Amino acid sequence: MSPNSVIEYQPKDYKSSLKPIWCPGCGDYTVVQAIYRALAAIGRPPHEIAFVSGIGCSSRIPGYTTAYGFNSVHGRALPIAQGIKMANPDLLVLAAGGDGDGFSIGGGHIAHMIRRNMDIAYIVMDNQIYGLTKGQLSPTSQKGRITATSHYGSLEEPVNPLLYVLAYGAGFVAQAAPTDLPGMAAVIEEAIRYPGFAFVNIQSPCVTYGEEAQQVKGLKAISQNLVDIGHNPADRLAAMDLAQHYGSKLYLGVFYRNPEPPRTYTDLVKDRQELLSKDALPKERILDLFIKK
Amino acid sequence: MAMTGIDFNALSLMDALDLAILVEDEAQERYEEFSEQMEQHRTPEAAAFFRHMAGNEAKHGRELSARRTHMFRDAPRSVTRAMLFDVEAPDYDAARAFMSPRRAMEAALASETKARRFFEAALNAIRDASVHALFLELRDEEIQHQELVQAEIAKLPPDSGLADEDFVDEPAPQ
Repeated sequence: MSPNSVIEYQPKDYKSSLKPIWCPGCGDYTVVQAIYRALAAIGRPPHEIAFVSGIGCSSRIPGYTTAYGFNSVHGRALPIAQGIKMANPDLLVLAAGGDGDGFSIGGGHIAHMIRRNMDIAYIVMDNQIYGLTKGQLSPTSQKGRITATSHYGSLEEPVNPLLYVLAYGAGFVAQAAPTDLPGMAAVIEEAIRYPGFAFVNIQSPCVTYGEEAQQVKGLKAISQNLVDIGHNPADRLAAMDLAQHYGSKLYLGVFYRNPEPPRTYTDLVKDRQELLSKDALPKERILDLFIKK
Repeated sequence: MAMTGIDFNALSLMDALDLAILVEDEAQERYEEFSEQMEQHRTPEAAAFFRHMAGNEAKHGRELSARRTHMFRDAPRSVTRAMLFDVEAPDYDAARAFMSPRRAMEAALASETKARRFFEAALNAIRDASVHALFLELRDEEIQHQELVQAEIAKLPPDSGLADEDFVDEPAPQ
């Protein structure tokens, strides 16, 4: 191979030898396929990708890719992904998890990730239930939902993930579903390419503990492509208006893409380091700071 | 089933062959995935059936590829996998842990039916005579596959009457 030849990656190059153990029929199978396609379209070699997750069924996903993976701590995918990006800004960093991981125990991290504008794509597989622990109420479960921990129906309103991230100022917000695998791959690719924090909510049905209306056939019945309704993804307020229908309508595609992405946190830190390094003490004289004269 | 960015009215024979090959590739991969899922969930009969179906799809794909090479050699392909979804591949949510051989075959039958409908619908829009002939041939193959799967289903002993869900753990109160 000549030094100038370009390797063209195929989706299979990102598929690991580890076999998924999700329940057959789970929506997460389409998500991992969409990620393979998106990564192949981007074409970064697997060793230049770090894929971090929290805990839960969907958080197994890094293991099913050939990227460097970290199946971390419940709710802590984002801080760990941020640490990786800060340590090596050249890496392509992905974070993933479920709605419980992201919007319950990890909910507080999202706001800070957004305000710092880390260049990380965060994929949430939203199934409205804690599936791994056998069907308890999750932050996106609908009010009235009967689960193992809500025998008389949930009393709480669900978190709206789309509105949540839009309100905090995320620069890229999209939604996808297993009803459209090529569309899902396209929005994940776009999220990764976006220079800043990008959020993709994926309605990924739980076939074992999910409700009938949230299975693929139910999702098809309420889904609508944002392109087809003429939505302008540069219009943040219009995106927020559409996002309010989370739970009743399933809009697929890009809700919001900041047409003028602000600089990322790693860029700002680099600038600051360069600025301060002008007056910094040379490395060989650092000990002078501690030596009394 | 979805297909985007393809104008059947203007489809050339080479593009039609490429499309048919991609349809077979997608189905082959999906059956392989299903087979792996069944193996992971200790459902060997369904795994073996899906593996068999993957082999069939691969065989059809090879036959179509040989025709394509014979007619158009290595001319670049303009249709891509991103343009199609779930044409002949079984729906992702058709798989279930502990599914019976009957249910696995019914999933395959539904896929063959779906593919037949796809080719039938496309036929209405196709103008080119050679593409029309190819799609008729592909439609007829799907009908033949449906009959083959139906014959296999007819040979099966009756199911136990238990649903797949009967083998899955109930939600556990905490």
